[in-house]
Amino acid sequence: MQNIRNFSIIAHVDHGKSTLADRLIQLCGGLDAREMQSQVLDSMALERERGITIKAQSVTLYYNAKDGQRYQLNLIDTPGHVDFSYEVSRSLAACDGALLVVDASQGVEAQSVANCYTALEQGLEVLPVINKIDLPSADPPKVIREIEEIIGIDAQDAVRVSAKTGENVPELLEAIVTHIPPPKGDPQAPLQALIIDSWFDNYVGVVSLVRVVNGALRVGEKIRVMSTGRAWQIDKLGRFTPKSLGASELSAGEVGFVIAGIKEIDGAPVGDTITLDARPCAAPLAGFKQVQPRVFAGLFPLNSDDYESFRDALAKLRLNDSALHYEPEVSGALGFGFRVGFLGLLHMDIVQERLEREYNLDLITSAPTVIYEVGIIDGTSEFVDNPAKLPSPNRIAEIREPIIIANILVPPDYVGSVLQLCTEKRGVQKKMQYLANQVSLQYQLPLAEVVLDFFDRLKSVSRGYASFDYEFSHFAAAPLSKLDILINGEKVDALSIIVHRDSAYQRGRELVDKMQELIPRQMFEVAVQAAIGSHVIARATVKALRKNVLARCYGGDLSRKRKLLEKQKAGKKRMKQVGSVEIPQEAFLAVLQLGRR
Amino acid sequence: MITPPPLGVYVHFPWCVSKCPYCDYNSHAMKEAVPERQYLEALRRDLEHQLAMSVAADARPVVSVFLGGGTPSLFSPQVIGEVLTMLRAALPFAADAEITMEANPGTIERGRFAEYAAAGVNRVSLGAQSFDDGALRRLGRVHTARETHTAAAELHAAGLANFNLDVMYGLPGQDAAGALADIDAALGLASAQVSHYQLTLEPGTSFAAKPQPALPDDEVTERMLEGCQSRLAAAGYQRYEVSAYARPGRECVHNLGYWRFGDYLGLGAGAHGKRSVLDAAGRVRSIHRTEQVREPRRYQRDPVATLKVHEVEPAQRPFEFMLNALRLTGGIEQGLFEARTGLPWTTIALQVEQAVAAGDLENQGGLFRATPQGMRYLNDLLVEFLP
Repeated sequence: MQNIRNFSIIAHVDHGKSTLADRLIQLCGGLDAREMQSQVLDSMALERERGITIKAQSVTLYYNAKDGQRYQLNLIDTPGHVDFSYEVSRSLAACDGALLVVDASQGVEAQSVANCYTALEQGLEVLPVINKIDLPSADPPKVIREIEEIIGIDAQDAVRVSAKTGENVPELLEAIVTHIPPPKGDPQAPLQALIIDSWFDNYVGVVSLVRVVNGALRVGEKIRVMSTGRAWQIDKLGRFTPKSLGASELSAGEVGFVIAGIKEIDGAPVGDTITLDARPCAAPLAGFKQVQPRVFAGLFPLNSDDYESFRDALAKLRLNDSALHYEPEVSGALGFGFRVGFLGLLHMDIVQERLEREYNLDLITSAPTVIYEVGIIDGTSEFVDNPAKLPSPNRIAEIREPIIIANILVPPDYVGSVLQLCTEKRGVQKKMQYLANQVSLQYQLPLAEVVLDFFDRLKSVSRGYASFDYEFSHFAAAPLSKLDILINGEKVDALSIIVHRDSAYQRGRELVDKMQELIPRQMFEVAVQAAIGSHVIARATVKALRKNVLARCYGGDLSRKRKLLEKQKAGKKRMKQVGSVEIPQEAFLAVLQLGRR
Repeated sequence: MITPPPLGVYVHFPWCVSKCPYCDYNSHAMKEAVPERQYLEALRRDLEHQLAMSVAADARPVVSVFLGGGTPSLFSPQVIGEVLTMLRAALPFAADAEITMEANPGTIERGRFAEYAAAGVNRVSLGAQSFDDGALRRLGRVHTARETHTAAAELHAAGLANFNLDVMYGLPGQDAAGALADIDAALGLASAQVSHYQLTLEPGTSFAAKPQPALPDDEVTERMLEGCQSRLAAAGYQRYEVSAYARPGRECVHNLGYWRFGDYLGLGAGAHGKRSVLDAAGRVRSIHRTEQVREPRRYQRDPVATLKVHEVEPAQRPFEFMLNALRLTGGIEQGLFEARTGLPWTTIALQVEQAVAAGDLENQGGLFRATPQGMRYLNDLLVEFLP
């Protein structure tokens, strides 16, 4: 156990985490050059396409150090996007140390700060690493000062590397062995293994990634999943190197996977403890803090026959995405579906894309919303995650919206435009501090304003240099109203949103204009109205399509006409009939496109 | 015995004096004299190869030939005559076969129609497009309204009274009165048919590239269509297809062949062909489409290597059939669907039933045809037949 090192890499998107991981794997001979597919750890196709890490992954490496000893290094990957910060604490729970990777020219970014604090809170040894020292704009001493100033850890011994050229990466491996402590634990004690992640494999059932804290796992032994109390026989154990490699035993301090013939989707929940059936431990491990979803939307299968498979797919996703919450929802416009809670819009995007790609479903999403706390006149209050379910106005005493604390780091050149953005988003400044190269801002912001497009806007007003991280603070009363959208006089529940009174008219106007753009012309005129209560505040008309026929059909060549009609058919598949009007998926998300012209 | 699909021949001539900005056909502005002889030789090799390739030669007579383009009338009457002679030598022809040539009312054609008639052409399709010289210029046409009048007079004089006038509507800046004036002018030329179609911006044309010309809006083009249709009807021209009008009994045989899902041999650069393989009883066993390379030089170099052939899978046949057949105002019989596609009617019975229920199709004593509503939104109806 003295020769095991469990660590993860904390880094901002683009600061070179994946490249550094690739380099470590290569140096330890995990994969030969031919097998070395760039960015090995981002294994989900989606992750690679978007260049982000979503799910925790692990890789076991063997390193022969200068002291003549052979070390087992377990690298547990962590996600870099703000939406997935909850995954970070999960990954860190399996580690004894973390590398804080900072870009040598960009400096520290807000999410890394937040993740680094999480690591320090969990008692991890943080090892600063300055990456991209090969760039001409690299300024390691400046970045070291920044790390000390912002995070408050000693960074004088930071390892300076270039993951791209491989410079100093061997030194980094040495630093990992010397600076990160070996795991603590008792191989002889009753088994306690923490489930870091679980996913469902159609052939073998549930696969769980675990960190063995005490005792050992052995193939053939009977284990017990503590929350369910059910016992299973271990079929297979192994490590990812990153190829999956079978093992007969995983002992205290080690990280690896367990397959035990568990076929139920919720048979091995993330954060649960595995013990031996014959010799159980006294108590489960602490597990993870339940994360609260922040953004809610209704998801509905385009084809109502898909409802059952949609439910199964959600259950499978939920298995390794504990942030995903859902419950059945019936919409007048969209039929039977689920109200799903997400961490943020990126999470929502990714879940929808995974459902469509991996489970072959066609889904339509209602306008996303945050959760509101509604004070009722009798003094009680209730939470509302669906604008359509807002109590009738005469019962409402006040509506309270979620407020977050946002920490923003931005270079001084862009402070002005970031302040302007925060004001526009109804922000209240709490702190502003000039650091060596960056300005640290703290703002109170309504979550509803943040989930829509704050992240994108922040990136664009700062040319990509600002970074931010947020945490929920409290609910606060605000003058909020429900804005309904009527299509040909019929209220479409899936399009209702809750808006601040000051921006209600503008939102209503923009929304109907956007809908007019997005709803294709139909055989009849379509009226789109925005209303608060019975008061219509904006209206737009989609003119009738007078005809839809190919003017000249040159008999000989059908291919072009066929393509045109196939395109029309594909477009139709993405539409939902509401009353007699066909509405495309994009129109339901029109609220997300407001203010972006 | 089932009546086998009629056989036509399409020959493409891929050159024009200049390329019109709205045209997405396979036409190339001629930079020098049209290489008549080389092209004729290429057509000969193409024809021989396609005939040799056919699995089972059947004895169906050719009922129509369409010399299209481009501008076939850029070719001399001598060479056009040789093309027709070549076809007649290789294939049996029906006694009353319709032989159409597309022509522009320009200076090149002036005085040559009698010679084309002598060479065997018995029908002409004239690209009049408009009778407003300003509109013609904006369309990139190289002729004037006056030249169209002259050409029509020459056609009548040459015994080619069976001619068609192509007229467009919905032109940039055109109003409803302008569209009606064009139709009135066309009617004055006493053609046998009028093709009246709306100008659309096709991808890849210079009109479709920005800045796009300002076209009249839907409400205006609808008034144009309604007005022109009633003028045409009053003058005795019946609408027999979405954009085609003819005096009774003078419908274009070749185009009817396309719309009734007949077969056609496609020769020339960019030409498409369709051929059904029949069994002994005349039933369709399989359907094949041919496609030639669009680029004239490559075609001339080796028309054998450039021919592509693919089979139309049974699943695709109902859509292909309907894409053509539902454009006909007269509708189609169950028997025609079965004879042309080789599939039983039950293949499409459900879609037909739904379209009838939706009011897009009607069944008039066994004739299925698009209702006025179905015709108006024909694309929506056709989509239902896509596999």
